[in-house]
Amino acid sequence: MAMFDMHMILAVLGTAVVGALVGLDRTAVGQVMVSQPIVAAPFVGWMLGDPITGFVIGVTLELIWILDMPVGTFVPADSTISAVSATAIAALAYPGGAPLPVAGASILLTTGMGLVTMRADGMVRHWNARLADAIETDQGRDAESRLARAHFSGLALFFMKSFLLYLIFLPLGIAAVTVFQHLPQNVHRALSLFVMLLPLLGVALVVRKLSMKTVDLFFLSGFVIAAVMGQLFHAPAVIVLLLTVTGGWLGARYHAQRS
Amino acid sequence: MHSGHEEIGTADLLGVLGRSLLIQASWSFERMQSVGFAYALSPVLRKLYPDRTEYESRLKLHLDYFNTQPYLAAFILGAVVRLEQDRATGLNTTADIRGFKASLMAPLGALGDSFFWGSLKPLAAVLAAALIITGSWWAPLLFLAIYNSVHIGLRVGVLFRGYRSGGDAVDLMSRYRFTYGARVFKVISLTVLGGILGVMPLWRQEFRPAVSMPGMLMAASGLTITLVLVAILRRGSSPVKLMLGLAAVCLAMAYAGVI
Repeated sequence: MAMFDMHMILAVLGTAVVGALVGLDRTAVGQVMVSQPIVAAPFVGWMLGDPITGFVIGVTLELIWILDMPVGTFVPADSTISAVSATAIAALAYPGGAPLPVAGASILLTTGMGLVTMRADGMVRHWNARLADAIETDQGRDAESRLARAHFSGLALFFMKSFLLYLIFLPLGIAAVTVFQHLPQNVHRALSLFVMLLPLLGVALVVRKLSMKTVDLFFLSGFVIAAVMGQLFHAPAVIVLLLTVTGGWLGARYHAQRS
Repeated sequence: MHSGHEEIGTADLLGVLGRSLLIQASWSFERMQSVGFAYALSPVLRKLYPDRTEYESRLKLHLDYFNTQPYLAAFILGAVVRLEQDRATGLNTTADIRGFKASLMAPLGALGDSFFWGSLKPLAAVLAAALIITGSWWAPLLFLAIYNSVHIGLRVGVLFRGYRSGGDAVDLMSRYRFTYGARVFKVISLTVLGGILGVMPLWRQEFRPAVSMPGMLMAASGLTITLVLVAILRRGSSPVKLMLGLAAVCLAMAYAGVI
């Protein structure tokens, strides 16, 4: 069971630093996608000695949040903070491998963080506007220095926002998940099933965003190819998935030629 | 005014590209990417305009409101370098650089959002998720490799194309076929999503419901649940509400003795 000893405090601080650095990739630096849940959660899980929980949480949250896009002024919920927090909470509360219901409880806890992360992101982006105004008003310095100063202050604000949110979310989450083990077995069973159903929800969310139809022909074709090859011909999963990619590619070309 | 006469070389353009990785470091609601745009351009402007007053005046012009898809901003940056160079050397002193930026940022924003966020990212993530669910733990690296081989290749390519063409958007569109690519990526993503459900009996135990039923029946059940979830999502339910609803259903099933 989790104890807030020196090891735990250092682990929380380390996760906050790593999580905030990785989170810069979301908006501020590069956007090479290391901040995506499918990468960030397994990495943090591996760092904390529980990569499997990281994979479970990473895949689930990736599918759920993948098409929540930063378009125009819309700032989506910070899926990096959710994924890193959920993984760290589960891994730190249950060292050596968190059981599935704990992963479920962590995901549920961090779902509620979405609104807070959006508010915090909004605040940073308003402060950044003030920094930008200072470039034109602060006449004492060289223009290039003023520009660089404002720009890197924005970067620092993005980092501090995530770092502080981790410092708040992680201890609270660890405490909550530690209490979770005392709940009745029915709750554990329910959350175990919940985690296993989440990939289906994730798939549904992506289908909903990528296709205008509830029953999409390409989606069904992929299902049939995989079910036939996997169940009847017992082909390995990687081969089956390669066949679905090929099927999709041919389908797209056929569709393009027809239209 | 035309005292610079400096040649802009590959090293200068690569410098702009490097700085463009930080184009959103100080993103704000009021100015969006303008500070990042000016920051990326400032070394080139310094080279082109040795006169401090003129340099600061050009820098200030680029602090105007600017927002587009961050990767395709490289195309506008490349083109603006060319236009500023032509202006500084007297080749074209009447170019409306402000108008040029304003005319391109919205179309490239829409194009880039649809291609990168709306189709390339889901494709890479769906492929990686499919592999992780079926037990390939190296899949996050594949996700990064697929996404970034396209993203970084395009980012470099469009910067140089922007510079060479002076911002010819028709040339950009004919060279890269973003719309066609987006359509193909979406179709492949849909077939792979279907494939994920088709191989449900091959999922790793962390993801698979612990029920004993024939493989084909399990896959068909997964497909049915997913289609029901898609139908619910089409009625306007949000991912968070659906996650909470799913948890509630699981709890109800546990207390009813179903699981």
